[in-house]
Amino acid sequence: MLNTAGLSLDQAPPIQVPFAFFRVAPLFAALAGAVLLWDGDVVLISRWSAPALAVTHLLALGFLTQVMCGALFQMLSVLAGAPVPRVVWVGRLTQLALVLGCLTLSWGLYSNGRAWLMLGGLLLGLGLAAFVVAVGVALTRARGVPQTLRAMRFALAGLVMTLVFGLVVLAGVLGARIPGLAGWVDLHLSWALLGWVGMLIIGVGYQVVPMFHVTPAYPRWLTRLAAPLVLAALLASTTLVGLGNVGLAVWALLPAILALGAFAVVTLVLQRRRERPRVDTTLLYWWSSMGLILLSSALWLLDGRGEVLGVLLLAGIGVGLPTGMLFKIMPFLSWFHLQHRQVTARRFDVRLPHMQVFMPDGVAQAQFGTFAAMLVLLTAAGFSAGQPWGAYLARAGGAGLIAAASLLAWMQWRCYRAYLDISRQLG
Amino acid sequence: MSSVIKDSFTHDHHRCDHLLAAAETRVEAGDWPAIATSAEGLLAAMREHFRVEEEQLFPQLAKAFQPASSPIEVMCSEHAQMRALLDDLRAAVESRDKQACTGILETLHFLVQQHNYKEETVLYPMADGALREAGERIASQLPAE
Repeated sequence: MLNTAGLSLDQAPPIQVPFAFFRVAPLFAALAGAVLLWDGDVVLISRWSAPALAVTHLLALGFLTQVMCGALFQMLSVLAGAPVPRVVWVGRLTQLALVLGCLTLSWGLYSNGRAWLMLGGLLLGLGLAAFVVAVGVALTRARGVPQTLRAMRFALAGLVMTLVFGLVVLAGVLGARIPGLAGWVDLHLSWALLGWVGMLIIGVGYQVVPMFHVTPAYPRWLTRLAAPLVLAALLASTTLVGLGNVGLAVWALLPAILALGAFAVVTLVLQRRRERPRVDTTLLYWWSSMGLILLSSALWLLDGRGEVLGVLLLAGIGVGLPTGMLFKIMPFLSWFHLQHRQVTARRFDVRLPHMQVFMPDGVAQAQFGTFAAMLVLLTAAGFSAGQPWGAYLARAGGAGLIAAASLLAWMQWRCYRAYLDISRQLG
Repeated sequence: MSSVIKDSFTHDHHRCDHLLAAAETRVEAGDWPAIATSAEGLLAAMREHFRVEEEQLFPQLAKAFQPASSPIEVMCSEHAQMRALLDDLRAAVESRDKQACTGILETLHFLVQQHNYKEETVLYPMADGALREAGERIASQLPAE
């Protein structure tokens, strides 16, 4: 029968909720760039080095998870017709815990400070748990394309597993007796990269790729198989680690890698068949990210260096794809909120600029250029670890990351200022 | 349960998507007479879609199923937002302002997409459930192609 939950379609959260997440995120990317600049001689030598662990968490939690939290609060409210309960408070609380937790954890990893590590784990545990509960409740009520919602639910499960294994590893680092710690670290990493990030890319992609550029829909075989395959592979890998078979656990991930590879190829094919002609910066970021999925899958299969894989996945996809999405989401939200107010207040004397005035594509392309240079430098640094020039490359890459993050922050600031200016005119 | 409303109105959304993308392609090429023709085609298609919804579908749905009134109100206010953008588009085409045309079409595209998503996932399934046999008659008001 008719389900009246989620009927009110005017549930967009106040613009400050997603914008607070979006605007803080580049600070963390810049901070990661600063660590690369400072410790360029060690970061890419070993993924176990203290600065490498700090950079990893600054990018994964501070940038990527931060943007995704903001986007999920927004998306679920508007697209899924499923408002997140008490969104302003949950949003603030999640963000505060995420920001402080990421800073303290990263500092703890960097300086090997036990108290900082403990505090970081505690804050992240609380913040992410609040986020998962709030978004999980909204997702149970959400309506929409079933395959997207399923991938979103799996992604949320991926985040929970990442958090759980992260806390297990943290307990081990702090002295608890955990047999086969390396296996648990691998699980933490697999669930983070495939379960949380990979699943989100799949879920978001099903929704926005056809929507943003008017492409044909994803084929049914893919939308049916991809997300469950990733989940099944992760569960198999987890079981094998639990049974103590770490070697086989790595290979159990193969179906997940293949599923993501297939998703990337199909996405590129669909985008080639798009009807909207312009190649905007968002599309450039999608292309680079899908290319990087394929490149890193190949590197994984060839047993390539973990440090290079980290660069491609975190600095490449983890920073790139959210950035590309922000170039559309932020101008649209600014325009949408303003125009909604204009229509309600009947203030048609105030001229509203269109989306591209909030974030001009020319500046966005310059930002993409900086990002691409950064990625090339860091990848080269990853391949030249141990060589005398490796440290220079890593430092130059760090500077590039700071530059790309600063450009993004500047564009966001301009966009928000324009929003505030017009908002004031509307009274 | 019949899905005639969801299917036919979604089909009409896609028709408008194609027209919008075609208008963008014309704007990229910079051929102004062709831009004007495609912009008028888009304007006519979208206004006709709004008309069938606002004069037929929405009033009948609100009558048959009272809780639908609130989302209908939101949909109508977004129609007003889109109409304002369509007026802007016509003015930009008349003054042959390529940058404005690109920006307006981009904005319109995103507004339309999120609007359609809400209609296709919430409102149309609700209408199919509430209106049943009247659905066929309402859907037949949409242009055949």
